Amino acid sequence: MIPAIKAELRKFFTTRLWWGMAIAMLVIGAGLAVAFGYFVTAGAESGAEGVPTGTAEQVANSVYTGGLSFGYLLTLVIGIMQIGSEYRHKTITSTLLAVPRRGQMMVAKVVALLVIGAIYGLIFLVGSVAAGALVLNAQGYSPFPSGGVFRTLALSLLVLGLWALIGLGVGILIPNQVAALLIAVAVAWIVEPIGGVLLSLWDFGRDHIVPYLPSAATQAMVNGVQQGGPDAAQPLSWWAGALVLAAYAAVLAGLGAWRTMRADIS
Amino acid sequence: MTATTTTTDRTGAGARIEVRDLTKRFGSFTAVDQLSFSVEPGRITGFLGPNGAGKTTTLRMLLGLIRPTGGSATIEGQRYQDIASPMRMVGSALEATNFHPGRTGRDHLRVLAAATGIGDARVDEMLELVGIPAAARKRAGGYSMGMRQRLGLAAALLGDPKVLILDEPANGLDPEGIRWLRGFLRHLSRQGKTILVSSHMLQEVEQTVDDVVIINNGRLVKQGRMSELHGDAKTIVRTTDLDALAGALRVADVTSETQDDALVAATDDLRLIGDVALRAGLPVYELRAATTDLEALFFQLTEGTNRNLGDESAAPERDAITGQEGANG
Repeated sequence: MIPAIKAELRKFFTTRLWWGMAIAMLVIGAGLAVAFGYFVTAGAESGAEGVPTGTAEQVANSVYTGGLSFGYLLTLVIGIMQIGSEYRHKTITSTLLAVPRRGQMMVAKVVALLVIGAIYGLIFLVGSVAAGALVLNAQGYSPFPSGGVFRTLALSLLVLGLWALIGLGVGILIPNQVAALLIAVAVAWIVEPIGGVLLSLWDFGRDHIVPYLPSAATQAMVNGVQQGGPDAAQPLSWWAGALVLAAYAAVLAGLGAWRTMRADIS
Repeated sequence: MTATTTTTDRTGAGARIEVRDLTKRFGSFTAVDQLSFSVEPGRITGFLGPNGAGKTTTLRMLLGLIRPTGGSATIEGQRYQDIASPMRMVGSALEATNFHPGRTGRDHLRVLAAATGIGDARVDEMLELVGIPAAARKRAGGYSMGMRQRLGLAAALLGDPKVLILDEPANGLDPEGIRWLRGFLRHLSRQGKTILVSSHMLQEVEQTVDDVVIINNGRLVKQGRMSELHGDAKTIVRTTDLDALAGALRVADVTSETQDDALVAATDDLRLIGDVALRAGLPVYELRAATTDLEALFFQLTEGTNRNLGDESAAPERDAITGQEGANG
């Protein structure tokens, strides 16, 4: 099992994708932490109309995870490409010749993607915590008001890993890599947010569907400031959000694994 | 395992491939139909058939990539996916295009090496062996067909396997490369390894292989020694009176038949025929050993019935994942 995981990691770190993504993670983490740092502190505790509200802990969380929705988009892409490029370049054949037991191959990919997610999470946090703490200090906020901030930081590593697994599932279910990338990004960034807004107009949807959408579950995990006032959907608690996102990852990666187990590779 | 006891004095160096009643249907299309044959250690076996005969599908079933509809394909009595360390038992090169264009050839091998617990030293050794140590440090996107074939061969040899399975390894090689490949395979087979080489051209492997397995339309056409294909020795002789010479030969216990304006005698003794003709007072215009026209023979064995005049992978070449309609269960 360990050799198969090592092979998956080596696969990832021997193309140019990894360092491009690493730079992007660092820049996104730092850049959006600065942007959120000024935006959120401008009115988080003022309660003024239209500005986000939250405790000092939620303010810090929001700043450090400001770029997380860009970050998980990148690990989603990494997850898709870890399998999609195998179909595209037909390296899946040599992968399965080296590791012919397909369940083992899939577990190796899952573990490798969780590791890759955690590595990128650390890179992301190096940027966001360094830049964010400076801004929070400058704005007169405590950079680490409570232990909950550290829980959020740890959970953002998990967020990035789980979105990579969602990508793995999508990459298998849509074997055309380009189509998989376009569809996944469009769903995560356009369909889901618009759907969320529309569902919020309907009471049942707002209370029982919107909090369970992947991006809402992700936001619940990192417990940031709230926007939209009392009429907005109430987020899940952090652990429920983690369970919901893990369920998405398990279902998609599971479907992908099931399909991979049965497929003829020609 | 039982197979090891049947091997020769080079026991341990090679392993037996056994294909029994192997069948694969893709929907209503039967790509491989009740195919049975075996491949012995220490010999080079040519796996031959025209494009679309089912060669690649058979090899992919043997390597656990395609699920058979029926029958079995085993190596040393085990299915490929049941072998504990498959790359150490079987080395295979299926297509010369299976590389990520952004990864170097060396890194491609390092990925495979990692999966099998093989170190970088062995990777470099193999690159040296196939003659591309420097080029393999460039990205695979720019490789020529010949480079890809050599890299594929290096990948197949990584685990120092007992069995080597190569799909059309001569494709894209220049004459020099083909000669190199031939010598290389001879060298490996002398070590006792089992070598199975597919090709759609009999002449291409004529000088390389010891045994042949010829298939067409997914069915076995012929399995045997390469030497058997040439058939019995024959001599072609031309003279003025064919019937007179045939009669004289019959007296000398040599049968013959008329073919066009020549006589084909069932012997390889040119001298005997010359002497018989001299004694009969017949002039000899031509006297030579007949060589089997392998191209014609191959065509004859596989002609007429070719079901799909398209390319080899016409049926199985659908999307890796979506093309599973033929999967059983």
